[in-house]
Amino acid sequence: MTATMQAATKRRRFPRGSTRRKRSSSGGAGTVLRAQSGWRVKQDLKGASLSLPFLLGFALFTLIPVAMALKESVFATKTSGLGFGKATSTFVGFDNFAEALADTSFWAGMFRVFIYAIIVVPLGQLVSLAMALVLDGVRRRVAARFRIVLLLPYMVPGLVATMVWIFLYSPVVGPLSDFLQVFGLQVNFFAGNTIWSSIGNLAIWGGIGFNMLIMYGSLQSIPHEIFEAARIDGAGELRIAKDIKVPFLRGSLVLTSLLAIIGTLQIFNEPLLFRAVTPETITKDFTPAMMIYNQAFQVGNINYATALSIVLGVVVGIVSTIIYRFTNRIES
Amino acid sequence: MLGITISCLVHPSLSAWGARPFPTFRTTSKERLVKFTHCRRVTLSAAVLTSAALLSACGGGSASPAAPAAHSGPVTIDVWGWNAETGKQIADAFNAAQSDVKVNYVLQASNTATQTNFRNAMEAKSDVPCLVQGFAPLTTMVVNGWAQDITDAVTPTEDTYNDGAKAAAKVNDRYYGLPSGSDGQFMIVNKDTYDKYGVKIPTTWQEFVDAGKIFKANGVDVTNLAGEDPSTLMNLAQQGGAEWFAIDGDKWKVNFTDKATIAAADIIQQLIDNDFVSNQTYKDRPALYSYFDSGKMASTTTQWWSLTGYKTNFPVTSGHWEAVEIPQFSSDKKATPGRSTPSFVPVGCDSPEAVVKYADWLATPEGIQAGKNPKTGSVGLPSSLNDPSPYVKDVIPKGFFVDDTKAAEVMVEAQKATVGKFELGPNYDAWFPELQDQWGKAVAGQIKLSEALKNVQNFVTSDLEKKGISFSTGS
Repeated sequence: MTATMQAATKRRRFPRGSTRRKRSSSGGAGTVLRAQSGWRVKQDLKGASLSLPFLLGFALFTLIPVAMALKESVFATKTSGLGFGKATSTFVGFDNFAEALADTSFWAGMFRVFIYAIIVVPLGQLVSLAMALVLDGVRRRVAARFRIVLLLPYMVPGLVATMVWIFLYSPVVGPLSDFLQVFGLQVNFFAGNTIWSSIGNLAIWGGIGFNMLIMYGSLQSIPHEIFEAARIDGAGELRIAKDIKVPFLRGSLVLTSLLAIIGTLQIFNEPLLFRAVTPETITKDFTPAMMIYNQAFQVGNINYATALSIVLGVVVGIVSTIIYRFTNRIES
Repeated sequence: MLGITISCLVHPSLSAWGARPFPTFRTTSKERLVKFTHCRRVTLSAAVLTSAALLSACGGGSASPAAPAAHSGPVTIDVWGWNAETGKQIADAFNAAQSDVKVNYVLQASNTATQTNFRNAMEAKSDVPCLVQGFAPLTTMVVNGWAQDITDAVTPTEDTYNDGAKAAAKVNDRYYGLPSGSDGQFMIVNKDTYDKYGVKIPTTWQEFVDAGKIFKANGVDVTNLAGEDPSTLMNLAQQGGAEWFAIDGDKWKVNFTDKATIAAADIIQQLIDNDFVSNQTYKDRPALYSYFDSGKMASTTTQWWSLTGYKTNFPVTSGHWEAVEIPQFSSDKKATPGRSTPSFVPVGCDSPEAVVKYADWLATPEGIQAGKNPKTGSVGLPSSLNDPSPYVKDVIPKGFFVDDTKAAEVMVEAQKATVGKFELGPNYDAWFPELQDQWGKAVAGQIKLSEALKNVQNFVTSDLEKKGISFSTGS
């Protein structure tokens, strides 16, 4: 190593004014260490204070409610006689959880949304990916316009979107049935055997914008030198998309997939509104979230509803963990 | 006319996204449909009645414990309701008419908002009103410990109200609500359609089924049964004298399969099995109105507050509808279905007498006129009175019926025969969604109604058992 390099290395290790430099230049080692320790604590506290608002919010709106839910879930509320007297709560241990684990309605709902998620989530990701790639392939000004249009469905509140689609699907006044009839297709979007497709279409339509935006952002961060190098090597746009862009998007895909799965397993708005048009199919316990809502706010059994919520949360956590680890393994 | 059957609001289950861990009363889809379209106009009239109802219902004196029962000034009561159009003007008129009670009308944003705010007030035991517009079945209010026994206050003037209104305000033979008129049902028929196919207006439900056969042969539905709305079953059961819930000593007697209910189910089952009806949902309103107005549906049961909505949304068939009495199960005794959600005085209010004074004033000609809607100039039908006939013409929209005079007579007769009481038990909010599920399957032909009713009864008993409520089942 040359003298210049050694000097540069030293400068990097001990920048001017640093504690280490002071320590090396002063004789009172104990005093310096104390000063250094105090400085570090201050720095740590400063850093921690930045996350304080989040921690407070997290504690107030997540940890405390979870603790309250856990407490509720181990009690049962009962009344007596005609039910006119005051209800009393008694500790029942894990009875509510045992009932939840054996509740066929709850697990049937879980199975339904699981199958639905297996189909809708990948389909939604594929469509979003395709949109993001197409947008990435056009000029920025053009992309900006389409990006807003694609994001619009995401901006529409879920309930409003569902009402809009109920109108579009309407076999009497909606345009879609008439449009498909032009091609000789008789489609009843409200029929029991098509309702999941109708809901899935709505979910994909609503989620495209969000997923696309995240993927498009990731695509924009890929160094363009790589594309240029690939083109020089003779790769076409499809090849570049398949072998360069998509692999770069893996992190975004995992993120959007996880969010989609978490959201799908808790699906509520859409089936709740579609229940009116196909009540023989979509019952009050059709999805786990609907059943929890029904138990909490209709049946009035908050204790059991919270137990079901915790079970649903655990299932979502397990599924998310499996998918996260699976995708990480593929990546590695 | 303290209770109200109508309100312009959204379905609680749809709007209650926030924490609302208490039961909510579900209006039927048909009711909501009408409400939705009327809200601006007709509800006025409804509001009048309603207003009276609301007021009466809503007008509760502030239960502020601080309010002394007897002092030199007037007793002030807070009345909660969501009658934005005439709620305050009625309270003002009452305050001007006397000096013993001062009503402070506290306007709520909606039925749901009323429930939320009321629950918060009860939990906090602070600013509890003295009168709240009924937002759920009365028994629910009692089970939740919200409604107080006001028998002593109501009894002295109970003769002001008709039997149905009085019955609706009672639980276990005690007044927990203010006498609340139920809007009696009648039927509207598309006269052109009936005339075209030479169908006689049915006077019994079996004749109604027979009419369906003729209409079916001509591609017309005799009526519509929405898959999400079991109100037709409830109405027919109530009309036939069914008692799904009754208090028997210190326990409930549950019977969803009594003779009257089975008779009602049999009529509906015939309509379903023979495909005499359509199943248009109330959720898809444009489609529903289009269908009703197409001449492809011959008849439907309805109530007075639906009429303005129909007039507005039936541009083609308005002027071709005729009001007729609702078909009966037998010619022996005339009965009309109709239910209400009475207003109530919350536990904690010290001035139930003041509330009753206000409620009684609402049932006077002066009180009814105070609810005149400034936009339409009409009042609602005071369905809690023994004779609401002086007000009936006000609620008939011009140009909807073939014969307005006959329509007025039909509506008055419907009110006279209204049953009013139909006990829904201590766990209505729990079992109604189950009834919706079972009804949906039955209407779709997946199960028979008799099976659906058994399933509902099983659900009810299971839920009561879980809640520790005593019951027995009828056979």
